[in-house]
Amino acid sequence: MKRAPTWPVHVALVGVSLVMLGPFYWVLKTSLTGENIFAYPPALLPVAPHVFYYVDVWYYIPFVRFLLNSAIVSTIVVLASTAFNAMAAYALTQPFRGKRAVILLLLSCMLIPFQATIVPAYLITKELGLLNSHLGLALPLCSTIICIFVFKASFDAVPRSLLDAARLDGLPEWRIILLIMLPLSTSAIATNVILSFIWSWNNFLWPLIVVRNEAMQTLPLGLSTFLSYLENTTGALYAFCVMVLAPGLLLFLLEQRRFIQGLTSGATKG
Amino acid sequence: MGGGLRNRYVVVLGTLALLTAAWNAYVALHDDGLILGRVVGPDGRPVPGATVRLQERTLTTLEPRATAVTGPAGEFRFTRHRLHHLVLEAAKDGVGRSPRVPVRLYFRGQNHTLLAPLRLAPPG
Amino acid sequence: MTRRSPRGLRRELVVWLFLLPSLGIFLLYRILPLVWNGVLSLQKWSPFGTPRWAGLYHYEEMFLYDDVFWTSLWNTVVFMSSSPIAIALALALALLVHAPVRGRATYRTLIFLSYPLMTVAVGIIWRWLYDEKVGLLNYLLLSLGLTTRRIAFLDSFEWAMPSVIAAAVWQILGFFMIILLAGLQTIPSELYEAAAIDGADPRQRLLRITLPLLRPSIFLCLMIGIINSFTSFDLIYVMTRGGPNYATELLITYIYRAAFVLSKLDYAAALTVVLFLFLVALTWLANRAAGGEAGAVEAAE
Repeated sequence: MKRAPTWPVHVALVGVSLVMLGPFYWVLKTSLTGENIFAYPPALLPVAPHVFYYVDVWYYIPFVRFLLNSAIVSTIVVLASTAFNAMAAYALTQPFRGKRAVILLLLSCMLIPFQATIVPAYLITKELGLLNSHLGLALPLCSTIICIFVFKASFDAVPRSLLDAARLDGLPEWRIILLIMLPLSTSAIATNVILSFIWSWNNFLWPLIVVRNEAMQTLPLGLSTFLSYLENTTGALYAFCVMVLAPGLLLFLLEQRRFIQGLTSGATKG
Repeated sequence: MGGGLRNRYVVVLGTLALLTAAWNAYVALHDDGLILGRVVGPDGRPVPGATVRLQERTLTTLEPRATAVTGPAGEFRFTRHRLHHLVLEAAKDGVGRSPRVPVRLYFRGQNHTLLAPLRLAPPG
Repeated sequence: MTRRSPRGLRRELVVWLFLLPSLGIFLLYRILPLVWNGVLSLQKWSPFGTPRWAGLYHYEEMFLYDDVFWTSLWNTVVFMSSSPIAIALALALALLVHAPVRGRATYRTLIFLSYPLMTVAVGIIWRWLYDEKVGLLNYLLLSLGLTTRRIAFLDSFEWAMPSVIAAAVWQILGFFMIILLAGLQTIPSELYEAAAIDGADPRQRLLRITLPLLRPSIFLCLMIGIINSFTSFDLIYVMTRGGPNYATELLITYIYRAAFVLSKLDYAAALTVVLFLFLVALTWLANRAAGGEAGAVEAAE
C-alpha cells in the first residue's frame, strides 16, 4: 500500500488546533496585558505582561466566596451522587420484584432533560425551604442515570465466582460491597466523580434560578453578574474568565482519558 | 496505573499547596502597608512641605484615603494602607503639582517604595 | 407463588432501601416536575392564593396570539442546524486524527478542550471575539480585506443567529469528534484492505465502507445535537440574552424569561410541555430514521 504523505494532515490538524485554541490564547493574553480593549490594532504577543488584573479580581470581586460556594456545592454533589448511584446500581444487580418497572422508569427519566423541569423544580425547592442554599443547589444533581448504569456495568463485571465464594464464606452483604465490588470498580467511581464534579461546577441555569443574593452565587453565576455590571472593557473580566476556567482545565488535563471515556459511555447510553 | 494516578495528583496538589503556603508566608512578612517616596521640584531638588494625596482606585472611581506632608528631604511615608491599586499625587502651592502616579501591588498592604520621585511641575 | 423467606424479604428491603435516595431524587426532580408542568399549564397560578383552573387558556394564548413563541420555536429549529454542520466538520476531523500520524493524542486533546469548560466563560469569550469595536473577528476581517466596515455580529438581525451557531459548533466539535473517532476505531481494517485489493479508490472506500458503518455514531451525534439545541441556555443567555429583538430567543430561553423575568409560571409550564413533546417527537423520529441503530451502539457496549 502506497504511503501517503503525512504533512498535509499535520497542517490541517495544526490549523484546526489553532482555531480551537485561539480564543483561549487571546483571553489569556488580554488578561495579562489589558490591551485589545481600547488599543487597536492588537498585538499578537503580550506586550509588557503583568498579573495585576488577577490581583484586581481577587480583591474587587468576591472571587473567594464564589469559589467556596462552587466548591461546597460540588463536594456535596460528588459525595452524594457517588454514594447514591453506587447504591442504586448495586440494588439493580439483585433480583427483586418490580425490577423491570424500576429499570423502565429510570430509562424513561433519561428522556427528561433538566431544562424541562425548571419551573416545578423551582417551586419544589421553594416548598422545601431550600432556595438560596447549598443543599438546594446540589440536590437535583445528586443522582444521574448515566452514572448508575456505569456502576451497574462495573458491578455486573465482577466475577460471579468471587461473589458466590464470599457468600458461601458467610460474609455479610455490606462487606461484600465494600471489600469486593467497590475496589474492583474504581474506574466507575472515578468516572462518577469526574462527571458529577464537572456538571455541578459548570452548572449555570439552576444557580441562576435558585440563588437570590450575591453571597450565595457560584462561579458561573458570579462571572455572568460581573459581566452585566462592567461589560467587557476591563482586563479584570478576562482575568476572571481565566481564573474560572483554570480548575476545569486542570482537572481535564489530569484525567483526560477517564473524562472522555465517561462522557462517551454516558452518551451511548442515551 | 494506580501508583501513577496517585503520583500525578500528589505532585500537582502538593505543588499547589506548597506554593500557596510559601506565598502566604511572604505576604505575612511584607504587609505592613508601607509606602515610601520622595517629592522633587521641577529642578530635581527635594521639596519639603508638599502635600501628598493617596487615593484608592476601585474599578470605577477614585476614593481619597490619606494625605501626608513631605519632610525636610522631600520624603513622605504612608503606613498601614490596605490597598492594592492606588494613585499618588503631590502638590505644593507656588511650586506646582505632580502627575497622578498609579501604583499596583501584588497584595493588599504590600510595602512599596517608589522608584521615581513625584516631580512637581508648574501648572500650564 | 414462592414463599418469601425472612432472609429473602430482608434482602428485598435492603434493595429498596438502596434504591431510595436515587429514586427519591428522580421522583422529586424529574417525574414530579414533568407531571406538575402538565397540571400547571392548565391552571392560572399566582404566588398568593390557590391556583385556579384555566383549561387550555395558555395553549390558546401560545398558539394563536404569541408571536414570540413561534419565533422562538423557529429559532430553535434553526439552531438545530448547528448539528449537521458540527457533525460534518467533526467527521473530517475524526478522519484526520484517525490517520496514523504522530501526536494524535495531542491533537485530540487540543480539539476536545473546549467541551468540558464552563459554557458561561466560553460565551463571554465569544461575545468579546464578536465585539464590534474590539473583537478579534472584526479585526481579522478588516485586515484580511474581506470587509470594509465593522460588523456588529451579536447586535444585528442577520448575524446574531449564525454567530451563536458558530460558537455552539466550536464548543461541541470536540465531543462529536471523539464519538466519531470511537466509531471509526471499531471498523476493522481488513475491510479497507479488501476494498483496496478490489481496486476501490479512497473516495469509494469512504462512501461505501466508512459512512455506512459510522451510521450509528452519526445518529448518536445527531440526537445529542438535537437535545443540545433544546437545552442550550447558557450560551444564548450570556451572548445575546435572546436579542436583538428575539432574533436568538430559543424556546428554552423564552421559558426562563416567562417564568423568572415575567413571573408567568403557568405560561412557562405550558411552554415547557410543548418543548418536551417536541423533544420527544424529534428524538423518536431521529431514532426511527437511524433504524433504531443508535440503540445498537448501546447493545454493543
